[in-house]
This record gives sequence, C-alpha cells and structure tokens, in this order.
Amino acid sequence: MRPVIGITTYVEPATWGVWHDLATALVPHDYVAAVTGAGGRAVLLPPDDLDADVIGVLDGLVLSGGADLDPELYGAEPGPLTVTRPERDSAEVLLARAALEADLPVLGVCRGMQLLAVAAGGSLHQHLPDVLGHEGHRPAPAVYGRQEAIFAPGSRVAALMGDDRVVQCYHHQGVADAGSLRVTGLAEDGAVEAVEDPARSFVLGVQWHPEVVRDKRLFGALTAAASARKATDKTAHKAKSEAAGDPMG
Amino acid sequence: MRRPLIGLTSYAEQVKYNGNDVMAGMLPMSYVKAVHATGGRAVLITPDDPGTDVLESLDGIVFAGGGDIDPAHWGAEPHPETDADPVRDLSELMLMRAALDAGLPVLGVCRGMQLMAVATGGSLHQHLPDIVGHDRHRAAAGTDPLAADSSSFGRHDVVLQRGSRAMGMLGGRVTVNSFHHQAVDDPGRFTVSGWCPDDRIVEIIEGRDRTFALGVQWHPERTSDLRVFAALAEAAAHRSGLSRTGLAA
Repeated sequence: MRPVIGITTYVEPATWGVWHDLATALVPHDYVAAVTGAGGRAVLLPPDDLDADVIGVLDGLVLSGGADLDPELYGAEPGPLTVTRPERDSAEVLLARAALEADLPVLGVCRGMQLLAVAAGGSLHQHLPDVLGHEGHRPAPAVYGRQEAIFAPGSRVAALMGDDRVVQCYHHQGVADAGSLRVTGLAEDGAVEAVEDPARSFVLGVQWHPEVVRDKRLFGALTAAASARKATDKTAHKAKSEAAGDPMG
Repeated sequence: MRRPLIGLTSYAEQVKYNGNDVMAGMLPMSYVKAVHATGGRAVLITPDDPGTDVLESLDGIVFAGGGDIDPAHWGAEPHPETDADPVRDLSELMLMRAALDAGLPVLGVCRGMQLMAVATGGSLHQHLPDIVGHDRHRAAAGTDPLAADSSSFGRHDVVLQRGSRAMGMLGGRVTVNSFHHQAVDDPGRFTVSGWCPDDRIVEIIEGRDRTFALGVQWHPERTSDLRVFAALAEAAAHRSGLSRTGLAA
C-alpha cells in the first residue's frame, strides 16, 4: 500500500457544467498529480474543525495554498487587502498543530508555509509590496512571479533543490517571523521562501508552487518520509503485538 | 473514540472560482457537510488514481453524483443525450468492486447508485424521458437546477418495499428531490427496494447480504433528511469497532 498523503482543500463558490457559484471543496489538480507522480495516494481533506483524528490514517500531509490567514491567529488586525477564509483557518490550524505534534511529514505550500510559520508561533506580512516596494511575487492576476531562491547551506531544502533554484511564486503575503521554525530559503529581495523544522522528521514549507511543475524533488521527499514513517509504524505495531502475544500480529 | 472515516468519490473538472479557471479535484460541500453532520469525517477520493489501496484506510465510502456512466460498461451504444467521463468511470468501477469485495459499507447517490448496478452486471436506462414520456425526474428545462436550493430539483414520492433495509431506515413512503435523466434498469447484484409510484422508476437499491450497501437515486445531501448518511456512518462505525453497538456485538 502506498503512503496516504492528505491534501487540505479550498472551499470556494465554484462554477462548472450547469452549476453556478456552488460551495465546493476543491484543490487544483496539480497537487493530486504531484502526489500521485511521487508515489503517494492522495486524499483530499475538506475543512473540519471538530478534531484532527484524520491524521491517524495519514502518512503525510500537504498544506495547500489559498487565501490569506486570519491575522488574529498571530495577534494582528486585518490589513485592507487581507482576504480570509475562517472555515479553513480553524480546521487547518488544528490539523497543522496535530501533525507537528505527531511528527507527521508535512509539506506546506504558499499559504501552507505561512500556516506552518503561524502554527509555530510566527507572524506574517499582510501585504508584501508594502514591505518590498514591488509586485514581483505576484506580478498580475493568475501570473506567476519567477524568483531565484537562495538556500541556507546544509538545509534540507538546499539538498533537495540542488542547483536549479528558480521557483514560481504567486502570493501577496509573506512570513515575517517563522516562530520556532528555521528560515532556510530567501528570495533575492529578502522575502522568506522556505522554512523547516530541523527537530522533526520532515517539516518543510515553501512559498512557491512546486505542484505546478510536479516537482519530484519536494513531493518525492515528502512521500519518502511518509513511507519511512509508515514502515516504522508497522514495525512498532508488530513488535507491540508480538510482545502482547497477539497471534494476529 | 474517533469518528468513522468516510471516503467521498470526487470529480476532476475544469472549474471557475475567484477568477481562476483550473482543473481541480472537487466535490460540492453539501456531501462533506452531510457526512460531518451524521458523525463521520469526510475525505475526498480523486477519480484518476490507478489503485484501490486507499480503501484500506476507510470505514465507509460514498459514491457521489455526477455525469453519465459510459454505456459500453453494460454493452450498449451511447444515446445522443449520454455524456460520459471515461476516466472517472474506470476509477469508480474499480473502487466500487473492491469496496464491495472488502465488505466496506457503501452508499451510492444518484450516479453512485447507478454505478452500484453497473459494477455488478446491471444496466441503465440512458434517457428517462424516452421511457416515461416526461421530464419530472429533473428540474424544468431552462432552470438552474441547483442555483438556489433543493426546491429547484424536481420532486416526487418514493414507495418502499416492505421488509427492506431501506424501509427500516426511511419508512414506507418518502418525498424526494430528483435531478437525473438516467436510471437503473437492471440492478445487477442488488435488490430494488424503492420506486417512484408514478412511473415505477427505480429509486432505491440495496444489498442482500450483511454488508451495508444502499443506493438512492435522489440527492439526500441537498436536504435536511440525512437518514441514509446516518445509516452509513453507523454501519461504518460498527464495522470498524468504533461504536458502542460495535463493541457489544
């Protein structure tokens, strides 16, 4: 059985076929294809803030992109350009914290990276052009900005990305303070491009969109970490069963 | 005790939302909310993945509504009004057969019920107005079937077979919404346990053995009557030893 990788979904009024502006759980298919292509089995996780028990069946988690996080989560007032989805926020903060607690392998993408930073006690810039003085990280609607990232020597992301450091960005917010995470990637203008938690098995957040190029470097590392955890779980379970004299193992 | 994990088959569709126009894995939130309201935890299963291993993680599965099933699967030529999605068909037929083989509790909604029939050797009527001479099983021509609420569906009664599992759940007669132009002709391995009294169109099919397998032609997720979702959640909890009744059994 392949490692099961959960992908958080957006909830948006969507239009297709005969339907118009119907509340829909959705995620760009690129995420699913990236997980499948890297050997994982994707399941989509629509928001649900009752509990985070679903992580019990997951071997890995992708925190997807989307709208802005509610600034209340990091103790700020909303700026004029901040657009939030409270239903996603409450469910995903719960999920992210439970995943970190359980040492579940996590890849955060765009909003997902920002969520990792906030869940780790950090904070965001609510409108990066105010800080950087340019729109290069979101040049125009539905147009990705091309950035060349600089990675911290010895970091996980540096090892995974190698020499090809060109990334596709689309965001207007950014990490101001990564909390207990380590900033391991920057754009040339100083915007945070990657964060990691060196104390955990696999916690990586990237500000860009690796799913649009089905980047096997990152999604492959996630599924590899998920498979490794799954194998460890199985061994632990087997040892426990044998110790208890359970013939079913 | 964790909630039963209920998989929902989803679509891969080109959708428009917030100025985006992308291929997305998606499902109307009404299904997700129906699962959460009846004590389950919903995850979405994307239709393009060549494998059934995901079923091992689930306690129950809902085959959701959607487009027509390719009539080649029961050896018929396509009707001019038939519009099929071959990728989704193959993926869901594989999942359906594997779920039934594994004894996983199954709920089929609209297309999902038709899939239960086709997956087990049954067949469909491809265009109901040709058979019954009226179009009351879907919303009036020219109306947006789901734009406002369930009142935009056609509505009619369903009479239930005495002694059936469905009657135990729903009683002898229910009024349902309706939005379909195809219907079950031969229910395959299943038993018909509900009909539209006006035209004898099949509205409910169910399994004969102990495994919970129920198909309904209407859209309970668009109503406040979620009894069939509650029954699925209960069967899922029971099978996985998550309910008090499950522990006592």
